[in-house]
Amino acid sequence: MSKEKRIIKILRYDPANDKKPHWVDYTGEFDSDSTILDVLNDIHWKTDGSLAYRRSCRSGICGSCAMKVNGQNILACETPIHKFKGKIKIEPLPGFAIIKDLVVDMDLFFEKLKKVKPYLVVDKPLPDKEFTQSPEEFEYIRESVTCILCGACTSSCPSLWGNEDYLGPAALLKAYRFIFDTRDDGANERMDIVNDKNGIWRCHTIFNCMEACPKDIKITEYLSRLKVKIVENSI
Amino acid sequence: MDKNFKETSRSGGIIWLFQRVSAVILFVLLMAHYVTYHFIGHGIVKYVDVIEKMKAPWFNLVQFLFLFTALYHGINGIWMVAEDYMKKKGTRIFVFSILVMLGAILMFVGMLTIFKAGAKL
Repeated sequence: MSKEKRIIKILRYDPANDKKPHWVDYTGEFDSDSTILDVLNDIHWKTDGSLAYRRSCRSGICGSCAMKVNGQNILACETPIHKFKGKIKIEPLPGFAIIKDLVVDMDLFFEKLKKVKPYLVVDKPLPDKEFTQSPEEFEYIRESVTCILCGACTSSCPSLWGNEDYLGPAALLKAYRFIFDTRDDGANERMDIVNDKNGIWRCHTIFNCMEACPKDIKITEYLSRLKVKIVENSI
Repeated sequence: MDKNFKETSRSGGIIWLFQRVSAVILFVLLMAHYVTYHFIGHGIVKYVDVIEKMKAPWFNLVQFLFLFTALYHGINGIWMVAEDYMKKKGTRIFVFSILVMLGAILMFVGMLTIFKAGAKL
């Protein structure tokens, strides 16, 4: 495996010492197949232990390491550095408050998620065994259940940048996932929640969320389905 | 499914629906415009051809529908996006008033062109 010299620019911010975020350059030799997370680990372990970033599973499952690299929201653990030419600019997710360096405050993100009741609501009598669902019924939600809640979509949404009260694509996708789940009985309640000025109608089908999603979920398409369902149910 | 959740009129659902409906109407009218002007008959459109068409009431009615739908779609679109950035009630009322006035002025000028200028020439 070939090693290559790369310049890594990282947007650093320590609220205890800095007035505002600033760029710091690091240079190192990395395998071309290294991921952005490998690079951050290398810097953190060998060069600058004060660099703060989130990581956990390093397998694209936990959603901890979402960040902005060369203008794109990506998962650091599954994005190789050879995808980027020249300098690699690493920033925290936009649209969220920075806690330190690449660590952002996700509290509001998870508060919004809780608003749409991200769990199965069941009113009917419980079956003896499990709830059954046909493959056709599951197909409606198959992709949306793969969301790992990394926040890359919500962070990339210009509607959210303009209005922090907007629920955002991740919470709305979670609402879609349960509203279109045939086992769930809480669809009306959830539609009531998202059918709001700061809910689904702030989505202007910009498609940034779809581009940013590391799991390639067609978020905008599902949100459009949700809009149609809400309008159909209210006419 | 029950309709026991609140209506969409004040949430943004109805203006979203109207935006889609007006887009479809605009698309049909625009296609009709292209076909009528550029693919049927004269080839190159001349001033006199347009004036001749404007004498027919049905044509003016279609032009009026075109004007109204285009203005509604455009101004509603600006309003939907502008709403993202305005939280204060005063600002919202001010911007909304400006947009409505702008729409009314453009509608008036457009109607003058369609009905008055066309009839005189």
